Amino acid sequence: MTDRAVLACPGRGSYSSTSLGSLPDNHPWVVRAEQLRAEYKLEPLLSLDQSPRFDPARHLQPVNASPLIFLVSLIDAEAAAHDYDISAVIGNSLGWYTALAVTGALAFDDAFRLVQEMSILQQEPLPKGGPGGQVIYPLTDAAWRPDPRLRAAISAVLEAPSRNGDGHVHESIDLGGYAVLAGDEAGVARLLNGLTPVRVGERLFPLRLSQHGPYHTPLVAHVARAARKRLGGLGWRAPSATMVDGRGARWTPLSTDPAALRDYTLGQQVTTPYRFALSVHVALREDAPDVLLLPGPGNSLGGICGQLVVAEGYRGVRSREEFEAAQRSEAPIVLSMRR
Amino acid sequence: MTFDRVAIVEAALDASLEQAAAPAARLAPDAPLRDGSSLTARKALELFEDQVTSRQLDVAARELKKENRSFYTIGSAGHENNVVLGAQLRITDPAFLHYRSGAFMMARARQLPGTTPAFDTLLGIVASSEDPIAQGRHKVWGSRPLWVPPQTSTIASHLPKAMGLAFSLARARRLGVAIDLPDDAIVVCSFGDASVNHATALSAINTARYAVRIGLPMPILFVCEDNETGISVPTPEGWIAGTFSQMEHLRYDLADGEIDEVWDTVSEAVRFVRGARRPAFLHLRTVRLWGHAGSDAETSYRSAAEIAAIEARDPLVRNARRLIETGAATAEEIAALLEETRTRVRAAAEEATHRPRLSTTEEVVAPLAPWHSERVAGRAARPVLDPAARRELFDGTLPEEVPGPNARTLAGCLNAAMADELARRPELIVFGEDVGRKGGVYNVTNGLQRRFGVGRVFDTLLDETSILGIAQGAAHIGMLPMPEIQYLAYLHNALDQLRGEAATLQFFSSGQFRNPMVVRVPGLAYQKGFGGHFHNDNSVGALRDIPGLILAVPARGDDAARMLRGAIAAAAEEGRVVVFLEPIALYHEKDLYADGDGGWLTEYPAPPSTLLPGQIGVYAPPDTEPADVMIVSYANGLRLSLQAARRLRENHGISVEVLDLRWLSPLPFEAIREHAAVTGSVLIVDECRRTGGGVADALVADLAEAGIGHRLASIRAVDSFVPLGSAANAVLVGTDQIVASALTAVTGLART
Repeated sequence: MTDRAVLACPGRGSYSSTSLGSLPDNHPWVVRAEQLRAEYKLEPLLSLDQSPRFDPARHLQPVNASPLIFLVSLIDAEAAAHDYDISAVIGNSLGWYTALAVTGALAFDDAFRLVQEMSILQQEPLPKGGPGGQVIYPLTDAAWRPDPRLRAAISAVLEAPSRNGDGHVHESIDLGGYAVLAGDEAGVARLLNGLTPVRVGERLFPLRLSQHGPYHTPLVAHVARAARKRLGGLGWRAPSATMVDGRGARWTPLSTDPAALRDYTLGQQVTTPYRFALSVHVALREDAPDVLLLPGPGNSLGGICGQLVVAEGYRGVRSREEFEAAQRSEAPIVLSMRR
Repeated sequence: MTFDRVAIVEAALDASLEQAAAPAARLAPDAPLRDGSSLTARKALELFEDQVTSRQLDVAARELKKENRSFYTIGSAGHENNVVLGAQLRITDPAFLHYRSGAFMMARARQLPGTTPAFDTLLGIVASSEDPIAQGRHKVWGSRPLWVPPQTSTIASHLPKAMGLAFSLARARRLGVAIDLPDDAIVVCSFGDASVNHATALSAINTARYAVRIGLPMPILFVCEDNETGISVPTPEGWIAGTFSQMEHLRYDLADGEIDEVWDTVSEAVRFVRGARRPAFLHLRTVRLWGHAGSDAETSYRSAAEIAAIEARDPLVRNARRLIETGAATAEEIAALLEETRTRVRAAAEEATHRPRLSTTEEVVAPLAPWHSERVAGRAARPVLDPAARRELFDGTLPEEVPGPNARTLAGCLNAAMADELARRPELIVFGEDVGRKGGVYNVTNGLQRRFGVGRVFDTLLDETSILGIAQGAAHIGMLPMPEIQYLAYLHNALDQLRGEAATLQFFSSGQFRNPMVVRVPGLAYQKGFGGHFHNDNSVGALRDIPGLILAVPARGDDAARMLRGAIAAAAEEGRVVVFLEPIALYHEKDLYADGDGGWLTEYPAPPSTLLPGQIGVYAPPDTEPADVMIVSYANGLRLSLQAARRLRENHGISVEVLDLRWLSPLPFEAIREHAAVTGSVLIVDECRRTGGGVADALVADLAEAGIGHRLASIRAVDSFVPLGSAANAVLVGTDQIVASALTAVTGLART
């Protein structure tokens, strides 16, 4: 019997130096994407992907990174569909747009436009206090055990009374083992100064995410408004496989209302916290897949999904050691399609 | 020959898809399933998804049971049209559901993204400690975020509290109690066609109608899911419609037919209840597939043909056909949904069996009787009333300043204590038979309605089940009810409302729902021959047998006031259910040893002076040496023991220490042991029935097992109902008996 997979599409941080050369240059979606890129008068994706060296300033720019990631993920997902029974599709942040394409809720052109337009809008400055950004902070120790002090540190900053000039801070993405927080520039400074420095493994936190805006917060309400105007013509459809969104809501092939899907994607998805951890929790429980399958580029969700499997106690796995043992077994729970 | 009815019904559903006739055109998703219906094609498909999930959960429960991996097989199969209620009612409409509510819950959970209703159900079926509502203590339909308090619902005993919540919604708002429900919330409760015959169900329906009659809002939807059977006994044809379609002040709707017809009927009924704030009875036709539960061999009372005829009415087959015939879906789409749902529920069931279970006693009992002394004491200590406001409340003279003896009796002190508590706790309400205008049959609630208004102190109809139902419902939304059951003997007809319902709520909801209350019950004997059994009932065993329940029994005015504050604080802080048993014979007693000595009068202790469970009363002998004998008693027995103690001292030179238990459940073992270790000789004076109340048994056993006290003895009332007139003395404990027993104890009754 074919293994049942929940497909988890990665977000914006997933294209890195090791991702260069991911795109097959004659794949029909790549060809079509290049045509659309040309309409936007943007640099060809293949020239980015085939660059001899990774240039963060160029490759991580939202208008470039988003479509690169989207394309690689989508092509991987297409391949996965041959080998797995896809029981549900989820995505992290940008990965939600990929999920819409994977399930056919948007046709390729429309999904690409959604990705490209949103990345353009996200590069525009905030109405005030810009550019703003995201800060990532851990919630567990190196052994993936929740550390309540870290959660308390976040709460202290988020709940501290705001003074003039302090800017705004919000929850942005819940990854389970990490929290992504966001703010305008003053807010980001408050996060970086206010969160107790902590080292997990080799990385020091809090860490500002390069070229990331304050997505999934009310600070980008203008982006949602503009997106609804610019993307009014997209052809929304019911998905071919169940999707679980950033609130943990399930969208099924039979009963999805395309208008509601549009309203969520161009509304709440943009302006309220994206709870990736909750989407994994719902998918693991309600779909109980054999594997969590992670399309590329990179493997940015590998550890994060491992932490979520441990938090869920899925298949009895309740620690990092048990997870790593399960990964070495004949039936790993998380499968990354790329490294 | 045995048949696997689950497989047969599953196969019939698959086969039906091949036979359904498709229309020429596809129905638009936003188009109604039938002209004039408010059910769209898309919504109908959503309902069907939830029905299929519910059905597959039942299949999974049966499959797991075969391998002894699950513990509950009462299913929803055949009842899945209750999905319509789950979809139409809001998650802010409290729902008290019976055990066939799978589809209802699937649909309700859709309204709250991030919930996992299928997996949660499976966790309940396998009794996992990860079941988010009961943690494996029972398989119930329940959810805090979805406002579904868990029910066992086997005998419709959840209807009174559902009614009670509907009764309390408007009142709570008017009294300014913060509640998490909107103004137009309604209450729904569901039950079967057999259990609706139960007295508790009829009580609730009767009280709902009574409320309409006296002009009170009662926004409740009674949903009778009629599968025409109670386990093996058929419900007479037309019984439900005949009984409930003609009741005054109760709207009746029959929900039957195609899914869109059911939808529209439910829609009308819900709109009526929400708008008119009046009760309605929704008669939802269902069938019961696969017997009452997995253990029920349906073939022992039904023929194969009868079983097949019921299966032919499977609502999933009918709804699938309707969806295909109207063009809402194709047979292939339905088949794909079935396949997908079967696969994922089977996989989720497998996953659920690997989840942990409760294993230690501590884990199991954790939510049963939560107790944190310091927090309860803190709750009792505050808020403190503003002195000027308090003086004004008592019309210028504080109760502790009243010179007359009537204010210093047990009844007088209780009355003042209730007034003080009502004044400092706006969520507190007092109600029962005759407690309002009349002020109670013994004047204990005298004047409270005048001071605090009919919103907070009110008379109810004569139905203890409904009184306790109102208490539970009010408590569910944050009020602190202090109902009165007029006599202990009247409690027994409604006891299950305490035992099966109120006392279990925190246990089965892992503390997520609570119904704190202090139930005041006048009782016990010694009324000088008046009243007979029904007014002299001494059956405390019935109450001591309820896990987690606190039973308080004061004997004197000052104790009663302090204990009432402790009882209210325990309820408010820990959500505990407290029964406050008041000895009728001592309500107006003034004297202790002789007429006119005023020895039973006490000063009124001003708030917040408090006594908590475990704190006993000690009446030490005048000298400091250890007493010759220790008498342990409570209520009337305490007064008799004090009388006996004086006689023993004066006539026999024996010094006696008398202890007042004050709390009969849990018993203050620790304090008793401590005193018994000093005195050595212990006599228990238990005014309740020799083999019934259990107080003496428990104390003697505890001291014996602990090896404390070299002489243990007890005297108790006779195993009898209490007769009228002087004959009562023949069955009750008296002072002479106490004196005689104490003498024997001191002079050499060896502990055996």
